[in-house]
Amino acid sequence: MRLARTLALSLACALPMALAGCCAEPPPSETSAADEGTVYGEPIGDAPLVSLSELNANLAVYEGKRVRVEGMITDVCAKRGCWMIIGAEEGADSVRFKVTDGVMVFPLDAKGARAEAEGTVQRIEHDLETTRNVLAHEAEEAGEAFDPSTVTEPMVVVQLAGIGAVVRSNE
Amino acid sequence: MNWRRLFRVLHRDIGYLLFGLVIAYSVSGIAVNHVEGWNPNYSVTVSEVEVGALPTTSLDAMEKHVAEALEIGTDDIRGRQRPAANRFIVFLPDGGEAKVAVDTGRGTVKRVTTRPGLFQVNVLHLNHLKGVWTWVADVFAFLLIFLASSGIVLLKGKTGFGGRGKWFVLAGLATPVAFVIQYYATR
Repeated sequence: MRLARTLALSLACALPMALAGCCAEPPPSETSAADEGTVYGEPIGDAPLVSLSELNANLAVYEGKRVRVEGMITDVCAKRGCWMIIGAEEGADSVRFKVTDGVMVFPLDAKGARAEAEGTVQRIEHDLETTRNVLAHEAEEAGEAFDPSTVTEPMVVVQLAGIGAVVRSNE
Repeated sequence: MNWRRLFRVLHRDIGYLLFGLVIAYSVSGIAVNHVEGWNPNYSVTVSEVEVGALPTTSLDAMEKHVAEALEIGTDDIRGRQRPAANRFIVFLPDGGEAKVAVDTGRGTVKRVTTRPGLFQVNVLHLNHLKGVWTWVADVFAFLLIFLASSGIVLLKGKTGFGGRGKWFVLAGLATPVAFVIQYYATR
């Protein structure tokens, strides 16, 4: 009885301490330092840095290639943290940085922070119905009127199949 | 001590040990099972706002206008974006945002709050922590396998595995097997 109690108490004390120790250090795929930001996935920096405007304007040139982009995180997958949108402070140029669920998990409060991300460029084309739904939702959120009949071209999303990213706070 | 008595002791004490984590994983399992219909981590509320037409002299002026109208402190602004000529977004803490039309000032404010308790058990269950937690979760899984296996052989006689127990085990196996067969049959 005494042995069981001692064992249980030892576990009860040791486990939280061990967890506190392990959680104090970021997991290997998500490391951070004050000046380095939070690192997700593999180390980045080898691929050429391409501006968002260049990538969006010349998607055919970069499709299938590994590139690195920089910008502001303007949206994050709210349910699984499996993608983030990196955009410019001014203008519509953006890229969707997508990872397999659970490989990297981007926190929702990363919106507004700066990101440097590396991945393979993909071209995702929505059908017309999806395009209209996406644009209608965006317009509704932004308090704008929207006429679906004005949308006649399907939306093309520039996507990076994510390899790694660094997220840095603006503060 | 015979092996059945040893299993009973281990089954009981490991059961006590794993109680908390079994409940946490089960609750998280139910929550993330329905991720298509709701957000298991965050509660998001959206409200309509009207802040008046924005000054278009600079992004700073637009940000200041929105912040003052919505009584948002400057420390609470994480960033701003003007993705289109008539659209301006201010990013708020915890993933919230204010999105308004530049010409009218009409738009929405999205506030995000973490679901207390559920967010934390999802972090554990989905192994967002990675690192050492991966090994803790593996040990937990092996102990669950032991609990299931030892549970089968604890009792003997009519109510044991050799009695009616085997039919319950078969029924429990039949359910997922039927779904797997149906999955491949309809692919």
